[in-house]
Amino acid sequence: MNKKSRTRLLIATGVIVVVFVIGVVFLIQKQGAYYRQVSDLTTGQYDGKNVKVGGKVLDGTINRDSSGVHFTIQDLTGKSQTVKVTYSGQMPNTFNSGVDVVVIGKYASTAGVINADQLQTKCPSKYKGQASPAPTPPSAQ
Amino acid sequence: MIALGRIALALALVFSMASVLFLALGMRWDRKDLLRNGYYAVYAFFLTTVVSSAVLLQAFLKKDFGFGYVAENSDASLSTFYRIAGFWAGQQGSFLLWLLLIAVVAVVIALVDLNRLERLTGGAVMVLCVVGGVFAALMVLNKGSNPFVAAEPGTQPFGLNPLLLHPAMVLHPPALFIGYVGLSVPFAFAISTLLLGRGDKQWVSLSQKWAVAGWLFLSLGIGLGAWWAYVVLSFGGYWGWDPVENTSLVPWLTATALLHAFTLYKSRGLFKHWALGLAAATFFFTILATWTTRTGLIQSVHAFEKNPLLVWILSGFLVLTAAASSGLMAWRWRRFESHDQVESILSRDFLYYLTNLLLTLFAVAVAFGTVFVPLAMNKTVGPSTYNAIAQPLGVVTLGLIAICPLLAWRKTEGSELRKTIILPLVTAVLSVPLWLYLGFQSSVWGFIGLVVCGFAVGGVIQFVLHSARRAAGPGKSLWAGMGRAFTGSRTRTAAYFVHFGMILVVAGLIGSNVYKHEATALVKVKAGETASIAGYTLAYKGMTGNTGPQNSTRSFATFAVTRGGTQIGTLTPHTDVYPASGAAVRAVILGRPFEDLFVVADDPFDSTSKSIALRMIIFPLIRWVWIGSILLCVGAAVSLWPKARPQEQEARVTEAIADTGDVARPDGATA
Repeated sequence: MNKKSRTRLLIATGVIVVVFVIGVVFLIQKQGAYYRQVSDLTTGQYDGKNVKVGGKVLDGTINRDSSGVHFTIQDLTGKSQTVKVTYSGQMPNTFNSGVDVVVIGKYASTAGVINADQLQTKCPSKYKGQASPAPTPPSAQ
Repeated sequence: MIALGRIALALALVFSMASVLFLALGMRWDRKDLLRNGYYAVYAFFLTTVVSSAVLLQAFLKKDFGFGYVAENSDASLSTFYRIAGFWAGQQGSFLLWLLLIAVVAVVIALVDLNRLERLTGGAVMVLCVVGGVFAALMVLNKGSNPFVAAEPGTQPFGLNPLLLHPAMVLHPPALFIGYVGLSVPFAFAISTLLLGRGDKQWVSLSQKWAVAGWLFLSLGIGLGAWWAYVVLSFGGYWGWDPVENTSLVPWLTATALLHAFTLYKSRGLFKHWALGLAAATFFFTILATWTTRTGLIQSVHAFEKNPLLVWILSGFLVLTAAASSGLMAWRWRRFESHDQVESILSRDFLYYLTNLLLTLFAVAVAFGTVFVPLAMNKTVGPSTYNAIAQPLGVVTLGLIAICPLLAWRKTEGSELRKTIILPLVTAVLSVPLWLYLGFQSSVWGFIGLVVCGFAVGGVIQFVLHSARRAAGPGKSLWAGMGRAFTGSRTRTAAYFVHFGMILVVAGLIGSNVYKHEATALVKVKAGETASIAGYTLAYKGMTGNTGPQNSTRSFATFAVTRGGTQIGTLTPHTDVYPASGAAVRAVILGRPFEDLFVVADDPFDSTSKSIALRMIIFPLIRWVWIGSILLCVGAAVSLWPKARPQEQEARVTEAIADTGDVARPDGATA
């Protein structure tokens, strides 16, 4: 058995693994969104951070203009807080007033708006237990 | 009938446990009579599973809405085809289908081995029965997972989610499950060979075909899911890095690495630890996929209810799998030392090693982001993160496919490499005008990726030519060996198809992701109003309506599509309003030679609408993803095709090894 080539292989493996792990951890730190409730946003500590928030789309708040769609969502845990959302991507085909949605994007606390780059609707609960991927959002590019 | 189904299921649990007991003792004491009795218990396990599945199937066929599960997943208006699909449309039926497939595989392996009664095979069947037992226990113990529960009085049949009314969605779940079950066979043999401490290659020979079949169906399942998402879900894409998608991709990645580790394990006794680890990891990840989908612990777009017993059983099984495989591997580590090794960076061996390493890292990263980050860090990562990991890894892996055929086993001489690299360089250069013609210079990274695709095509052609030259022998023309290059070794012929398919898939992924562009327009509902994108003009013609499946009311807006002044087709994006679930917009797609024009309304519309918010998306090269996926499956099917005679098979294997390098014996040093 050739010890030298074995050592070389281990070193090459180590370098690849370390570089890869550092890259992945860096990406998750930088791009990962905190999963929070609407009511958590008012604490102010999420200003300018990526957040993922679930909420119910309030009736009569959906507006569309040249910059995209604007609507307001309400906390899902029974609290009264709401937050505005702006989104310009493709709408999921079950989006409407009253549905539960999950939005992911940067939160601006002064304007009280989440600039969402992802919008997902939850499957109607009646259809729980499907074996399939449910409506998914467009990729964020 | 419900009682019959339930009794059969309980008996299946009993018989699976009985076979585990007999097989474990037979294996431990090396007693053939116990192994035989174990196999008889497997037959009973199989028969009871068939009975309970048949009960559920007949309930769907006879529209027996007294079954709670049947009422939840079908209604009287559905065609037979979609009523059968109701079997696996929910959690309970999915578990039963999975159990049935495990029983089928276990009984086939047991039948083949009944005359030999080998300990290795007995141990593998035992592991499969443990897996089957866990699924049976899940259904028997947890009411929410049992398909044999009577409907609440007065329950109205729910029908099938309209989004699932598509052939791809009918075939997608069984394809995934067949894939998962096929890939549990190498795991079962790995555990068995570890228990016996047998470091030889028999477990690989016995499970390799199952692994290839599992990989084939998993590829098919993932491809069908992506295609369905593209044509039905209408969100403007085919892959959203949703947890449910991710957890099916992860075992595919480790299974791909496993197939590569297997080939070198068999021929030279290399990568033994890799093969064991990858077989275990692949199985672990298939259970993790179920855990993710079914427990609802990961925030997904699925609205599943949390179910403590289900969570406990599946989590416990995950821990058991991980602990048993890593414990056994640690115990038997030295029995699986290779006597051969990777000698040079410039060798095919090293590229196989890199392939395994990169695919494993990719799989672990996706699993980490999908499961660990949300659970432990209370964070979530989105498509941009996964894309940032997948894109460079994809191009590097493609590079490996490209370079691999140019290198020899063990060590490559520089002069040899300079000769073999010419053809790939030529195809890379030849591909440049095509990418320029398609306007792909707008992204440097995308362009580089596509040129690597061009290079890789040359690599595959070089691979074929090289095999042909070897087969023809010295002094004969290249064409004399061409037939043998394709008929010589099934694995090698499969590699041509799979690698070429993979190149097409990657080129398609680059084209449809990097060069995807879209435009929106608010079109007034008036004949002659137009919207345009990238040279295509859509002119509004009129609106029609009809009644679709499940009493839906559908509104179609007709647009004439013109390009360069000539009409090339019409598109009718529509809104379907379902009485049960509300309005859904549906996309339509116009296929062009090098791109798809995808059109969907952003908001539901009907005949009273004043305007339609139209979204138009161009997906370049997306068809290559579908064609490439088909080639992957064709390639895997080629390698599964039964061979004529065992002797001939040996001769071909020897030749296949000999013609790829300087390896003297097919069994390597460890046989």
